[in-house]
Amino acid sequence: MDSTAKTSKIGTRMMPYMAILQHDMKTLWSSRLVRLWLGATVLLTLLLVGANWANFQDGTLIASLLFPYLVFPWFFVVVVLGVTPVSGSRTETLADGILSRPVSRFEYLLATWSARVVLVLSVYLVVIVPAIVLVMLAKRPVPEDTVTVYGIVTALFVVGLVLTFLVSLGFLTGTLLRKPLLAVVVLIFVWYPIGLILSVFSLEEFSPISLNRAISTQLRRSWRETDEKAKDNANVQDADAFTDQVSNFFSVFSSVQPKPKASKPDFFEGEKFDDFSVFRVTLGYGLPTIAAVILASLCFYWRDM
Amino acid sequence: MSPHPGAGEEVRMELAIRTEHLTKIYSQRLIAVNDMNLEVPRGSVFGLLGPNGAGKTTTLRLLLGLQRPTAGQAQVFGKSCGPNAVSVRSQIGYLPTNPKLPGNLRPIEYLDLLGRLSRLPGEVRKPRISALLRAVGLLGATDQRIQTFSTGMCTRLGIAASLVADPPLLLWDEPTAGLDPSARRFTLELIRELRKTKTVVVATHILSDIDQICDHLGVMHEGRMIYTGSMQDMKLRLRQHDFTLELEGEAEDVRRLAREAANLKGVDTTVDAGQALLVRIAEGRSRSRSLADVLKLIDAGNLSLQAIHSGQNATENAYLQLLQEDEAHGFHR
Repeated sequence: MDSTAKTSKIGTRMMPYMAILQHDMKTLWSSRLVRLWLGATVLLTLLLVGANWANFQDGTLIASLLFPYLVFPWFFVVVVLGVTPVSGSRTETLADGILSRPVSRFEYLLATWSARVVLVLSVYLVVIVPAIVLVMLAKRPVPEDTVTVYGIVTALFVVGLVLTFLVSLGFLTGTLLRKPLLAVVVLIFVWYPIGLILSVFSLEEFSPISLNRAISTQLRRSWRETDEKAKDNANVQDADAFTDQVSNFFSVFSSVQPKPKASKPDFFEGEKFDDFSVFRVTLGYGLPTIAAVILASLCFYWRDM
Repeated sequence: MSPHPGAGEEVRMELAIRTEHLTKIYSQRLIAVNDMNLEVPRGSVFGLLGPNGAGKTTTLRLLLGLQRPTAGQAQVFGKSCGPNAVSVRSQIGYLPTNPKLPGNLRPIEYLDLLGRLSRLPGEVRKPRISALLRAVGLLGATDQRIQTFSTGMCTRLGIAASLVADPPLLLWDEPTAGLDPSARRFTLELIRELRKTKTVVVATHILSDIDQICDHLGVMHEGRMIYTGSMQDMKLRLRQHDFTLELEGEAEDVRRLAREAANLKGVDTTVDAGQALLVRIAEGRSRSRSLADVLKLIDAGNLSLQAIHSGQNATENAYLQLLQEDEAHGFHR
């Protein structure tokens, strides 16, 4: 009896949050951007799987499927989705409809942020999980690979974390700058040279390119394998494979057949980041994500509607 | 020690809204609300009157916590207003001017969303939504998306939205803006009905609306509250010896009559809109005798009298008088 009352009290308390979350999810789902993105993601995944079906081993192929989420082009869509909730023409509707009701600004912000994160992760997982299952279970004319379930889960987690961070970054920039277009432009100028920015702080291993390069190694890690041991296992093949992924990814669009062995561009030559620590990456992206949400909340709290 | 402890608090409890030196300056440039002290009695229909840009909407948004005051404070039912003052907003039903509503939703979905934002359980929410949609005459439009609604329908839905949580205080900003006569009449009648159970604040620059529904009034000008009080007091401020005579006849005859009447002792006249003659009788003069003299002139002239109004447009005149006085005070303001 007591627990029912407690549950209903929590339910009542959470009612505005859930209402905004559901409303936002519904609005987002009915937007053309999201539907186009879902369609394009499915198409690109199919193209990548089809083009590399007989070329790449499991780990390399899965890493190539994750490349569009980490580097290009889905970064752009994710950022745009993150930027919109409290900027531009929505503000008026927002003030008239929601913020004049008994809802705190933090509740509103948290609900809209959650809606975007849930939507982005749903689109990502809905497409990538079946593709990975297909790659893992199908018999392909390539040598056996040592991809582990733990490796797949952690790789998906890391990419999901980067996407969550991107939504949060878009959210913060949209709140700070108010104009969605300006916010997107600023983010593009910040995100693309992120490797350079991170290198200033000796944090290159967190750059999306370094992460993507290390994904194929991560996919082959087992649960009990330590970071040190994994480092020993990282081999030059992964670096080559990553170079192949990049050249192959772009060749899918240009309908040019990929070269069997692409020459390595200088940028990708190093073997320094062929592996990453899940813990460090979680902290490296998780803490800035939390910081972005807190900063956006503070900024939104002080803002006039 | 006060001889009546808590007496001051008791008086405060009777107020629905109270502001003290409330000030809002935008970007250190524009003074939207200037040192405003306002008290709205509980249970009143309070008209917030003022020309465009006087600061009415900003005042309402400050009360809702949508904007933060630069100085001073506002209280609703004794609780301070602010961005996170959820308990204050749960007491308020807000209708913005030409409300911007989410076009992708249908009326029931929208009201249900607002009901959930107000933490209303389903068993209360659902019947209330249908009752409100019936009350505002939108029962036939429940399957339409809001983006297909006309201005009047949006306002009706906005009215329903402000009533979903059944709040004791309503803040309605220009509720009759853009409405056709029947919708306007409906809105005014609804306010009359709501006054029985709620405190209603209506911000408008339409004087006839104020005249019909409000019992208390606050006049804003350039961000300042230049008058607050009852409607009766407001009308008392006006010169008491005014009559408007509606005449039928040639415009030239009306003007001639005005000249002749102005020659009478203690009578001043103005021709208004061609066919109406405004007669002002000086203080100390007999109103009946002066009016009889004017009527004799009408009878002698080539004009017929259609109607006589005493104190017609009293609110408008009092309002304009207030604005003129405020501007004339200049620096002393």
